[in-house]
Amino acid sequence: MSAGLARLVARRIGTALCSLVFVVVAIFFMTAALPGDVADMLLGQNATPAAAQALRHSLHLDQPLWLRFMHWCAGMLHGDPGTSLLTGRPVSEMLAPRLYNSLLLAGATTVVSVPLALLLGLACATWRDTHFDRVMTVLTLGVVSVPAFLIATVAVFVFAVQFRIVPALSDIRSIHSVGQFILTFAMPVSTLASITMAQMIRMIRACMIDVFSAPYIEMAVLKGVPPIRIVLHHALPNAIGPVANAIALSLSSLLGGVVVIETIFNYPGLAQLMVDSVMLRDVPIIQSCALLFCLTYLFLTTLADIVALASVRKGRGA
Amino acid sequence: MRHCRAAASTTGGPGRRQVLRLAAAGLVAAALPARAARAQAVSGEPPRRGGHLNFAGLAASTADTLDPARFALATDYIRGHMFYDGLVTLDADMTPRPALAERIESDDLRTWHITLRRGVAFHDGAALGAADVVYSLARHKDPATASQQRAVAQEMAEIKATGPLEVQVTLNGPNVDFPSMLGLVGFCIVREGTTDFSRENGTGPFICTEFSPGVRTSGRRNPDYWGGPAPWLDSVDMTGISDDMSRHNALLAGDVDIIASVNPRLVRMLRGRGFGLLESPVGTYTDLAIRLDQGPGRMQDFVTGMKYLFNREQVRDSVFLGFARLGNDQPIAPENRYFAADLPQRPFDPDRARFHLRKSGVMDSGVPVLCSPAALASVDIAVVLQYAAQQIGMDLPIRRMPADGYWTEYWMKTPMGFGNTNPRPSLDMTFALNFASSAPWNESRWHDPRFDQLLLDARSQRNETVRRQIYHDMQVMIHEGAGICLPAFTTSLDAFSPRVRGLRPSQAGQLMGYDFLSHVWLADGAA
Amino acid sequence: MKVRVSLPSATQRVGMLFGFWLVLAMFGPLLAPYAPGQIIDTQVFAPISHQHWLGTDYLGRDLGSRLLYAVRYTVLICTLSTAFSCGCGILLGVATTATPAWVEQVAGRLMDGILSIPSLLCALLVIAAFGDSLMALVLTMGVIYTPGAYRTSRALALRIARMDYITVAMARGEGRLFIIWREILPNMRGPLLADVGLRFIYAVLLLSNLSFLGLGVQPPLVDLGSLVRENVLGLVYGAVAVVLPTIVIAVLTVGINLVLDATAGRRS
Repeated sequence: MSAGLARLVARRIGTALCSLVFVVVAIFFMTAALPGDVADMLLGQNATPAAAQALRHSLHLDQPLWLRFMHWCAGMLHGDPGTSLLTGRPVSEMLAPRLYNSLLLAGATTVVSVPLALLLGLACATWRDTHFDRVMTVLTLGVVSVPAFLIATVAVFVFAVQFRIVPALSDIRSIHSVGQFILTFAMPVSTLASITMAQMIRMIRACMIDVFSAPYIEMAVLKGVPPIRIVLHHALPNAIGPVANAIALSLSSLLGGVVVIETIFNYPGLAQLMVDSVMLRDVPIIQSCALLFCLTYLFLTTLADIVALASVRKGRGA
Repeated sequence: MRHCRAAASTTGGPGRRQVLRLAAAGLVAAALPARAARAQAVSGEPPRRGGHLNFAGLAASTADTLDPARFALATDYIRGHMFYDGLVTLDADMTPRPALAERIESDDLRTWHITLRRGVAFHDGAALGAADVVYSLARHKDPATASQQRAVAQEMAEIKATGPLEVQVTLNGPNVDFPSMLGLVGFCIVREGTTDFSRENGTGPFICTEFSPGVRTSGRRNPDYWGGPAPWLDSVDMTGISDDMSRHNALLAGDVDIIASVNPRLVRMLRGRGFGLLESPVGTYTDLAIRLDQGPGRMQDFVTGMKYLFNREQVRDSVFLGFARLGNDQPIAPENRYFAADLPQRPFDPDRARFHLRKSGVMDSGVPVLCSPAALASVDIAVVLQYAAQQIGMDLPIRRMPADGYWTEYWMKTPMGFGNTNPRPSLDMTFALNFASSAPWNESRWHDPRFDQLLLDARSQRNETVRRQIYHDMQVMIHEGAGICLPAFTTSLDAFSPRVRGLRPSQAGQLMGYDFLSHVWLADGAA
Repeated sequence: MKVRVSLPSATQRVGMLFGFWLVLAMFGPLLAPYAPGQIIDTQVFAPISHQHWLGTDYLGRDLGSRLLYAVRYTVLICTLSTAFSCGCGILLGVATTATPAWVEQVAGRLMDGILSIPSLLCALLVIAAFGDSLMALVLTMGVIYTPGAYRTSRALALRIARMDYITVAMARGEGRLFIIWREILPNMRGPLLADVGLRFIYAVLLLSNLSFLGLGVQPPLVDLGSLVRENVLGLVYGAVAVVLPTIVIAVLTVGINLVLDATAGRRS
């Protein structure tokens, strides 16, 4: 059984690598297909054909596309993601501090949101169609449906401008103690967490309700098993697959999908770097960012898949 | 938002005369080692030294740079003024004043002799010499530098050192406005041979302590600054917040002390809360360019009709909430000394517009007007125009294009599209770069040999009265002939907390011609 | 017995709600007193008054009129694109439980790939390649959200496919299509509808982001999310122009989700 699982995991990781290759190739050629290149973007409104051509030559952008791709691949195989076309700095050097910032924000958000979402999602499903459930449903839907930039902006305006409790910008240089850490991260994390939580609560609730209506749960209820025991021992193990998937999907966007939050709190993370680089056609950085996002996503979903597979096997074996 | 380049302005009237008279005798304005005197002039109280200032500009991205050749955005210009100096600086009315150059003189207006200030040191301790100036100017002409100012720099045919502190620049032809051109922040002076711009080595008022593109630029006071006693601040942090509301929130919450680019819609609130507002009458304009060589613009009547279709008052009052001055389809702003004030203001006249448009026969060509968030306020101006068109029975489709790639992919390449231009240091540059037949950014593809001839005449004209008349005629020609609809000149708005002192408006660009950091001081700084 | 009575009523409720929004989308703009691009007042962010019932926006245009147009485009585009993404996603997700393993591998990796490509890049490419037509917009939004729907439905289908009653049905020798249609789909309805509802909300938000980039409804027309975005500065004055569109978005999306929930609750 564990050998079988190991084989499944190995295969899942193998296929994840296929996705990775697909993404890298797709992104390289998609970026190349975008109108204009880094030379045009750098010169902007002042671009003249001659100037752009000269710059292109000095950046080796006049080489054929496939050759540039090969160069990049060769570099990656040696663990070198190349240098930024724009700044001439090594990509790794530009990425590292941003990755650290992004992981910090994503980590803090995960720690806050996952346990809360599980708890509230389970509670909603357990006390389904009660007032608690209805209020939570409207609340979560409301939070998801209001644009994130509005939530963040209102939060800053109220707590930073009107009440002056927290800073309006999240400058991690100002962190020297746990208290300062909490103050600095309070706004972005609570905004981000409320949005991710709302998504997760919705999905967890739906999955649990689905499981609750299964015959064996009804049987357990009839047999008089206490509700807590039903939730933890009968329902949860069977809902773990979809729940893990929902959580993985929500979390995977915490690295690359938080441009709005990073912009509003002036927090220098990866998402902002990616957007900048797409706008400026700085291909090596786009590639590396995409690779990181893809890896995170694949890691999380593969983890979810493995959990799902394991739970299914366990369910069947039992 | 990659709008305009060239630092602001036009050269000053009395200043210019002085320049020329002195140039003939051999030198430029007897320099008030300007900054100290200027700062004090603003308010009664003497400047205080000390303190730390946080500033938030409009944009930050990985394109942020310390390489003067690549300065493209307002934040770049501010960074440039922080760490570097030019040979001249542009005054509040755009008169060139000597900075690193002590004198700039010419007998024939073609060969210019620059004498450098003595005893200026770079941040690494090296003394400023002629070789640095030659290197700094000449590199803009090298295609590999990919300079934003290449088109301007081509004007300089030869740049050579004629002594340890003497540089001689020979132009392609006479140009009385050459000193103004040196006021472009892109032409600031770097150490000879510098190729690595991950760090700065300038002569400017601040020394860089941190530079992370897209995140932050920090500097501390240069204690050996030649222009002392300025700067007054001990240290400065500069960042860019592109989101309007966040930038304003940062100021309101006290996270930053000055923000650039205030949205006119928030002025009421900022004033209500006691924040200061700096209104600078810079000549930035957003214009609709109708190409005269393709599409409906080939019909003169179509272009005339469109010009009458602009409700300029509405653009000024509803789009800019009054923080703008009416435009008259020519690029020189009202506060400029050469502004053709007697040229009648073109009115909003739907009937005449309909008459001309009908007569053109291409009223309903279906050719869309392109606008983009990249060109300041162009989407809103397009909506105003579209509604006016609708009222006279014309269907005018609007296409809002992504800011991404707008300048290279769409601007100047479609029959009708919006552009956005920052004022340049002199009328000559504006005309030469945007309106002459050979101009690289001739938006409407307007060609008029008489205009080209007038441009050359003005360059070699020392007589101020004659020059004024030539510039007047050139404005009239653009007003009548070019395919440019220019509804308004925008007023630049910046806001500051009450502790900030010493800011005052300049025509040379936002925040005192981007040079505010060497002028401002803090009310709570040390004595 | 009770189940039979309430089932049509839930379906009716879905129908009524969608009907209401669709009618509003179709005919709402006819009620608009002003053109969507018409500036009617020099006062921006004007409050509610008898002259303009819902105040004015950041340019001094009539907010009520713009709101009616915004509802039209948001409802139509988001409904279409959600239908597209969920249709494709669910079809693939369920179908791959019954196909050979390699099909699932190919589809799964492709979906993972699409999910990992930043939607910004997709959107910019679509604008460059296909221009800004509404069709291109709907398809882009559809494609961007297909992988999410695929993953959710596949996870659900996979769990159900391993259930005893499916094994029983297989043993009975039922055809694959029959099993999918009669056994798997009905049993994953609850979580699936919750997912569809969420995806509709995402579509409303994505639409405003795409408009911000340049793909999307062209001015002077507007969608609900963009209406909020363009008036966000009114926040500091407590302007109707930012509050009201937000409420409309919430009412629209929360309502649809609640009704979908209610439907999901009734099992067939």
